[in-house]
Amino acid sequence: MLTRIAGGDIIDPVNGRSGKGDLWIEDETIVAAPAGRAPDLTLDAGGCVVMAGAIDIHSHIGGGNVNTARLLLPEFHKAHAPRPAATPLARLGWTTHETGRLYAQMGFTTVVEPAMSPAAALHTHLELADIPIIDKATLAILGNDDFLLSMIRDKASAGMVEDYVAWTVASSRALGVKVINAGAAASFKENVRSFSFDDEVPFYGASSRRIVKTLQAAVSALGIPHPLHVHCNNLGIPGAPGTAAETMAAAEGLPLHLAHLQFYSYGAEGKRGFSSAGARMAELVNSTPEITIDVGQVMFGQTVTISSDVMRQFSARGSARPKKSVIFDGVADGGGVVPFDYRADFFGSLQWAIGLELFLLIDDPWRVFFTTDHPNGAPFTTYPEIFALLMSRQVREKAMEGLSKRALSLSTLPGLTREYTLADIAIMTRAAPAKLLGLKDRGHLGAGALADVAVYRKGDDIAAMFRRAAFVLKNGELVVEDGNVTHWRWGKALRLNPEPDKAMVKRLEAYHQQRYGLSLDGFVFPDAAIEREQPFGEVPCNS
Amino acid sequence: MAVAWIDGRSVPVADAADKAAELLSASFHPVFSLDTDVHGTRAAIALARLVGAAYDQLDGAATAREAAQVTDKGGMFIAPGEVRRRADMLVIVGALPAAHRDLIAELATTTPDLGGASERHVFLVGNEAKAPEGVKAARLSGEGGLEATLAALRARCNGRQTGKVLRNFDAFAAALAGARFPVFTFCGQSVGTLGLAMLQGLIADLNRKQRASALHLPASDNGWGSTLASTWTTGFPLCTGFGDDTADFDPWRFDVARMITEGEADLHLVVAADAKSVASVNLPLIALTGGARPVAGAAVSIAIGRPGIDHDAVVYSARVGTIASVKAQAPAEIPSAAAVLRMIAGRLPQSEVLPC
Repeated sequence: MLTRIAGGDIIDPVNGRSGKGDLWIEDETIVAAPAGRAPDLTLDAGGCVVMAGAIDIHSHIGGGNVNTARLLLPEFHKAHAPRPAATPLARLGWTTHETGRLYAQMGFTTVVEPAMSPAAALHTHLELADIPIIDKATLAILGNDDFLLSMIRDKASAGMVEDYVAWTVASSRALGVKVINAGAAASFKENVRSFSFDDEVPFYGASSRRIVKTLQAAVSALGIPHPLHVHCNNLGIPGAPGTAAETMAAAEGLPLHLAHLQFYSYGAEGKRGFSSAGARMAELVNSTPEITIDVGQVMFGQTVTISSDVMRQFSARGSARPKKSVIFDGVADGGGVVPFDYRADFFGSLQWAIGLELFLLIDDPWRVFFTTDHPNGAPFTTYPEIFALLMSRQVREKAMEGLSKRALSLSTLPGLTREYTLADIAIMTRAAPAKLLGLKDRGHLGAGALADVAVYRKGDDIAAMFRRAAFVLKNGELVVEDGNVTHWRWGKALRLNPEPDKAMVKRLEAYHQQRYGLSLDGFVFPDAAIEREQPFGEVPCNS
Repeated sequence: MAVAWIDGRSVPVADAADKAAELLSASFHPVFSLDTDVHGTRAAIALARLVGAAYDQLDGAATAREAAQVTDKGGMFIAPGEVRRRADMLVIVGALPAAHRDLIAELATTTPDLGGASERHVFLVGNEAKAPEGVKAARLSGEGGLEATLAALRARCNGRQTGKVLRNFDAFAAALAGARFPVFTFCGQSVGTLGLAMLQGLIADLNRKQRASALHLPASDNGWGSTLASTWTTGFPLCTGFGDDTADFDPWRFDVARMITEGEADLHLVVAADAKSVASVNLPLIALTGGARPVAGAAVSIAIGRPGIDHDAVVYSARVGTIASVKAQAPAEIPSAAAVLRMIAGRLPQSEVLPC
């Protein structure tokens, strides 16, 4: 099948392509214009921009905690279903099916669930397999598990840690590794209620810093393309910038990714002890080249916070709106689900402004990633509005009219004039995520790339343009036309597959038998358990 | 071996699937009762969406109570593996299903290896709670049943007096004061919604100063697995119906047992490998069950394999505390529930690509 996307403004920063032209696709792959061949399908992209399919590196779309949030809040979905535009969590589809539909309609073709508990990997992958159209991937959580903490305490060799990380990534079918408030979930089980970067986990003597450094080294040594993905300590606490700064400094030249930096950019100044440290954090990122971050932008309205940072979620229970929550002490980690309503008051306004400060003050679009930490800062369905805020100073000024003036006066946002270009958007949401995750087959429109393509009809309303793509192609198949899904397909979960060390497997089998009274078989699964054809796609590690 | 029947007569499976599809198409208010694995549930929900059915767990009142604890209140929960390794005080609340007997015995006879504790003390709450054989356990009991006992326990733990006697409270309080991580088991089979809420209230109280949590031991592992699968598929737990393409959740309205009793359904589809739990109840019945005989009175019976015995399966495992893959113990050429449900769905006149 030969497809020609004709006459669009092609924006492909990776290949230096910018301007009107055609894009050719043969089956699943982008190809050079074939000489003397007529296309089987021509899509008229006149008046449109043509980009690679977007990639979301951090969105909680499936797994135990996400499903617990659904179970905790059926009223959100119940209210949403018949009146999707006028209810709490407006426009957020709450099911696996809606997740795929809504992402695809916005031109997103790959989404990473960033917090998979390895013990619940099968549950996570079953959910991801039920998300249609798009490709998915997961990051496996490590850093609060007894096995790793014991190895750190017992001064195990780096090679042994690497074997364990490799086994975890391979058996859970992950694309990378995430550490969440390293050591805090384990400490919370010992009734510790706050945990900073140099605090030690009781009985292990391992500090958060040491856990992060151990995992960072293992990820790097294994050639896992995505740097260690770090959810720092002290999320959401005024004064957290110090913790984030300590973590960045600990990178020491090796790549490190810090998640949802907005939640760590709260200063403690002013009468209310809450101020913006957005400019300071942006400057720190600008001057630390080994660091990448995603923002975790806050938008106003009802949402639900979902996190494996169980210590933080426990402390947030009092602010739950509505007044119910779930706190879970898991094997090797934990989790918490706390519904929250971001209001346009002093605090909400400042959170909103801080996120935008990070976007606008971090110079390099290759190192700042577009996220709301869905659904923690806002549902992913708010992305089009955020694109508009980034691309138009006028849109920002209008949005600021209704917000707390006092809060905005504590932020640099009102004075920022930068406007993202379409090329910046293409880098931040396509090219850079592909590079960060090691997905060489996507994120660009060069010959040989996977034919994941998003075509947007240009217009004055930027949010409308990004909300309903004119066309979306996934693996070369036309799946969206005029903002609606017209063809359903099943994507894959992208995974690494490092060869597990046999001695480590034997050791883990003995560990599970002795400590949990269970065979390792209780924690692993065959691909066939997913009951879909080719549920996984393999991504190579760096050599 | 015959594996399908129409009105008790042996037929090819394809004919039975055709008949089932015909009945479902003609039905105005079909209802499904499930007792199946995760893929069976996914396939049943996909079929329910196509024919506008409501679905629920077979004999699902206890599963519904467990789901209601989360949908209405939330709570604090812990994984069984963490209980084994960390709990130095195990409090068994009410009677537990026999399926959990081995796990409870294991927890009662092992000791924690994390958190600095080396012993595990066992307490029982209510007259129906049982300790594993040979395990010494103090029983907390009072007047007025389990929920009243839980209420009295919460009050006493908060330093308030109660009008009713709570036997063995002092021993319990002393153990609690020294405990590093007490864990309370619960199951919707023996604890009502008020009792579940009271228990979570007690755990929330305890967590102001120390750690404590609750171990969910489901009334039915299949029921909880179906609850989870339904939740990611439709946004709702069981007791959900499809009036049109849109799912709706109402634990009273879509309580399938109630719908049948009150004449709101005109066709009943049951998916349960255990044929003993399936019976015709004055309603045309499509029975997908195990066994070599048709269900008496069923319009259509189709034999299905037992998950994890006849075929590999994906099930909720209370022992592991999440969804697990299980290998067939004795693989047999009997189709899974999911396969039969998909076969029926494929024969519907309005058949389309299933979302699951």
